[in-house]
Amino acid sequence: MAIFLSAHGYDPGPTQRPLIAGALSGVVATVPAIAILYLFGSLSVEARILRTSELTTVAAGVPLMALAGAVYGYLFGRAANDVRGGWLFGMAFGFALWAAGAVMVLPLASGGPTPAGEAAIGLFLSLVAWGAALGSVHPFVHRPLHENIEAAAKRSEVGPSAAASGPSR
Amino acid sequence: MLRIVAYHKAILAGAAGALVWEAVLRILMLLGFHSFDVVRELGTLAFPNGSAAEWWPAGIAAHAAVGAIWALFYAYFFWARLDWPPPLQGLAFAALPAALAALLVYPQLRLMHLHQDIAKLDWHMFLAGLEQTRLGGLLLGHALFGLTVGSIYTHPVGYPATRQCSTPPTSKEPRNHSGKRVPADGRFIFATGIECSYPTTEQGRWRRDEMAATGHYRRWREDFELAREVGVTHIRYGPPLHLIFLGPGQFDWQWSDEPLAELERFGPEPIIDLCHFGLPAWLENFQNPDIAAALAEYADAFAKRYPWARFYTPVNEMYVCARMSALDGRWNEQLRDESAFVRAVVNLASASIHMTNAILAARPDAVFINSESSEFYQPCCPDDDIQQTAEFENERRFLPLDLIYSHDVSPRMRDHLRKHGVGDEQFAWFMASKPPKRTVLGLDYYEWNERLVSGDGRARALGELFGWYVIASQYWERYRRTLMHTETNRADAADASRWLWRQWHNVQLLRSAGVPIIGFTWYSLTDQIDWNRGIEKPLGIIDPVGLFDLNRDPREVALSYKHLIDAHRDRPGYRECKAVTEVIG
Repeated sequence: MAIFLSAHGYDPGPTQRPLIAGALSGVVATVPAIAILYLFGSLSVEARILRTSELTTVAAGVPLMALAGAVYGYLFGRAANDVRGGWLFGMAFGFALWAAGAVMVLPLASGGPTPAGEAAIGLFLSLVAWGAALGSVHPFVHRPLHENIEAAAKRSEVGPSAAASGPSR
Repeated sequence: MLRIVAYHKAILAGAAGALVWEAVLRILMLLGFHSFDVVRELGTLAFPNGSAAEWWPAGIAAHAAVGAIWALFYAYFFWARLDWPPPLQGLAFAALPAALAALLVYPQLRLMHLHQDIAKLDWHMFLAGLEQTRLGGLLLGHALFGLTVGSIYTHPVGYPATRQCSTPPTSKEPRNHSGKRVPADGRFIFATGIECSYPTTEQGRWRRDEMAATGHYRRWREDFELAREVGVTHIRYGPPLHLIFLGPGQFDWQWSDEPLAELERFGPEPIIDLCHFGLPAWLENFQNPDIAAALAEYADAFAKRYPWARFYTPVNEMYVCARMSALDGRWNEQLRDESAFVRAVVNLASASIHMTNAILAARPDAVFINSESSEFYQPCCPDDDIQQTAEFENERRFLPLDLIYSHDVSPRMRDHLRKHGVGDEQFAWFMASKPPKRTVLGLDYYEWNERLVSGDGRARALGELFGWYVIASQYWERYRRTLMHTETNRADAADASRWLWRQWHNVQLLRSAGVPIIGFTWYSLTDQIDWNRGIEKPLGIIDPVGLFDLNRDPREVALSYKHLIDAHRDRPGYRECKAVTEVIG
């Protein structure tokens, strides 16, 4: 995927703010994710595993998801702005988080116990839904955050000096 | 946007893959094969104690949905990465979901089926979950899935040449519609373009349509607004000839009416590109001698329908079109034959002249910008054969322009034309048809336009050896016509700003040498599709050459171009450009 994204340049775009857009989108996407966790009873199971309250679990989860959203914005760069494919990229990212986080990190962090039964289904669906929501809302959250072209075009590095590739003497 | 994906095909392919998997594995299981039953595993999550009539529909629906998502993933990230037959690409891809299924999903499914909230997870679950026969079934299922997806998911861009494109040119008003018109009259032209190539491939059966692939038919209002935002005065614009010109006397103007009304009202001023590498299916290809009369009819109808349009490119890049169609065997007639090449050149040049005359009859003050690829061939070594090949190529590059500008050719080229079917009478007709006064020679330049004729006689791209200044000077010396830099871009997006400014300095230097130049163009407004492969194969790979990507987010070169335009447009010599007023005047 890294090679593939490189065709478009790793730059997220000169007028874009992918980290803040990703973080905000990550927070927005927790709404359906928390709802699914609650509906499947996964939230209380996770709280029990982590030996804390449901509220604390959510409170800790939201900034983590903001961070994960920022990582998504950073990794996917321009691709994250694709309205058509964003849900799929986000879902893939959510699946990867589930695989790495829920399947590996949570059991290790808690010493082995992991959600099972319906709680495991809820955890899986919540992270996939979080990813799909993240990828879906990211282009729309990002758009108003873009720097204005008029202002960005005044930057010196896009001016005539861009023609020179060697060091100045 | 990563890649152009045909969603309906991918979803169909993924669902079909899941169904083939189920059909084969179900039969094997009924025959006693002990396999992993993915449909039962998924279905019983929803109906833990349900009958087969309950879990089977739920399971197959879930599996088809998962299959569709994997197929979309394949379409975005894997398709066309390997130059293999499509079924084998699908088979290779299937290794990824197979590995995830065996190592991750299967143990997790077992967890999900437990009748408890919390379980102890150990490494044994990851590594010892599947018996060999069940693992065999899982791998066989994935192989069938991959082969099916790979077989079905092909041709994500384009459509059968005999079918009309199904997307009508509707476009929503952009949120930030400025309604601001960039002044153009008498000023130096700063232009961009909408990439609009529409050749056929696969022996005329498959139509490439860059405007459809880049989403322009859906987003044209937004595209025009972006062009205004950058500050360009003109836009090279080629309404889709193959969709508009349905037959003699039959035109479907819905493909051009609204976009051109928007350009007329708000700008940028269009440079109308009437024939861009393709023909309607009913005209077949460029070997057809009737295209000149037919395209003249189209030009006449077009000029009468849009009487305000002033700038025209009757036929875009005739040399490239003839070469790709009749010499390199890649588009349209797909021939590899010198006589076919000469025939294509003659037909294209004849069409250009007839179209020009038709437009002049409707709009006598029309300006013609004959865009052509600026080519140069450098011999690698002092070998007589290599030298002669380079000399011949350097003469042949001029051939279409020689014909439309009535410029005599060398005795050697004249003999060559005779040998390949151009009679003296036909040649004399070209030499007698003088081009109109308001004619501009547009010269396109890319990093592959300078070529080295190497020891084996093949031409290889040299990169920017001498540059646009030197190559354009050769064309200027030959034709002495006002010039315009009508296309450039850079395949490496990270280097595009540097390339833009260097091209611009070439233009400035040639202007300062006294050559009349009316404009400069970054081509195109958005990224293009499959041009790194000459749009020969319908792969849907995006070339990041635009001012904007296909999400319509600016690339750095858009900022550089705006910087360049802002810095120059009101300077003396650009605000009132003598070369422009002389051409328009």
